[in-house]
Amino acid sequence: MTTRQDALPPARASSGVAKLVVPCLIGALVALTLGIYGRLHSPTGIAINIAGFSSPGSVKSWLATGATVFAIIQVGSALVMYGKVPRVTAPSWIGGLHRWSGRIAFFLAVPVAIHCLYALGFQHYSTRVLIHSLAGCAFFGAFTIKMLILPRKGMPGWVLPVVGAVVFTLLVVLWFTSAFWFFSTFGIKR
Amino acid sequence: MRRNTPLITLLAGAALGVVLLIASMLSTPSKAGTGYGAAATAPPASSAAAQTSPASATATPSQASPSATAPAVVTAPDKADYAGRVRGGGASLAISIHNGQAIAYVCNGSAIEAWYKGTAANGVLIMTGKNNAHLSAIYDFGKATGDLLAHNTDYRFTVAVVHKPSGLYQATALVRGATVKAGWIVLPNGIKVGSLESDANSTAPSATQAPDLNVATGTAQDGDVVLHAIPVSGVTGSGF
Repeated sequence: MTTRQDALPPARASSGVAKLVVPCLIGALVALTLGIYGRLHSPTGIAINIAGFSSPGSVKSWLATGATVFAIIQVGSALVMYGKVPRVTAPSWIGGLHRWSGRIAFFLAVPVAIHCLYALGFQHYSTRVLIHSLAGCAFFGAFTIKMLILPRKGMPGWVLPVVGAVVFTLLVVLWFTSAFWFFSTFGIKR
Repeated sequence: MRRNTPLITLLAGAALGVVLLIASMLSTPSKAGTGYGAAATAPPASSAAAQTSPASATATPSQASPSATAPAVVTAPDKADYAGRVRGGGASLAISIHNGQAIAYVCNGSAIEAWYKGTAANGVLIMTGKNNAHLSAIYDFGKATGDLLAHNTDYRFTVAVVHKPSGLYQATALVRGATVKAGWIVLPNGIKVGSLESDANSTAPSATQAPDLNVATGTAQDGDVVLHAIPVSGVTGSGF
């Protein structure tokens, strides 16, 4: 299946925007739920551990870095799909690359988020941590919105690129406020 | 009817999250029962295990369970006290961790000093203080490593676990309407470094050298005022 909204009847544009309401509400609910859980649940400091890494912090940093790399592939493949890269015609496999890079990025991000929520919680003791907490909740809300509007027909053409850009920006903010901070503070090799 | 693959992706991710969350919840109580007790009663064993292997943190999960989705492994103590000199030797630092809360003090025995408060979770320590002072560190059963900012000066540090009477002491007193707050760091070699804020409630307290602390009595004579110091110890919970 294709996820591109090629055939868009102009007369339906307003109702197309109206179709955004329910996905946006669900996405907002997801973000709020994560934030409230992270705030109310008292952080345990520990969660399940993945063997082979020197610390939970480095596991999360590498998973987040992996998610960010796949997210960059997301943006690149989206640009090709939308014909925004000069002299590059979209190959037939670009849709598959886009879908699978997105799935992998998402599945890499989920364990990191669960660890954050369960072991650390929603915190605000420094600007970096506050931004990270807010962006973390917003990211999964924005991703939910994108997944919900993807299969919908009759959406205005700008919707998916804008939502995709928001999701990507939030992930990059998350990476800079966590993994980049972790690596620059403690070094890549521990 | 075409399958709604984005929704499947979303639900699969949510299911993965729920599974991991439940796994974390299931692993935490069992570890809290045995692990915390083991950590509390036998910290030498943990630090001994850490010393036998340079990759201490990776060794810890494998000794508990080789499985990839192993139960929670305690890689950091709940209660610990660290003290030592920062890199370069320009100042001393003491960190006390008590059940997720942390207090730290950096001090050069004169004007450069800062108190920090923050959270310690999962081997990661994040603390802030007045005047944009902040401290980030990772900690385990043997040491805490990180960097800090005090008086707009960056310090990197690795400080080791210390035991009484080494560690952090603080004293506050009301002198002529101002809150005087003194901090001392007692290093394992017995050297004491201390500074005294003459107006601790100001947003940018200025400090001078603290009077000598008598560790045995916990007192220090500041002019005509006797300061009574209490240890700030994560192990005992004193000062938290």
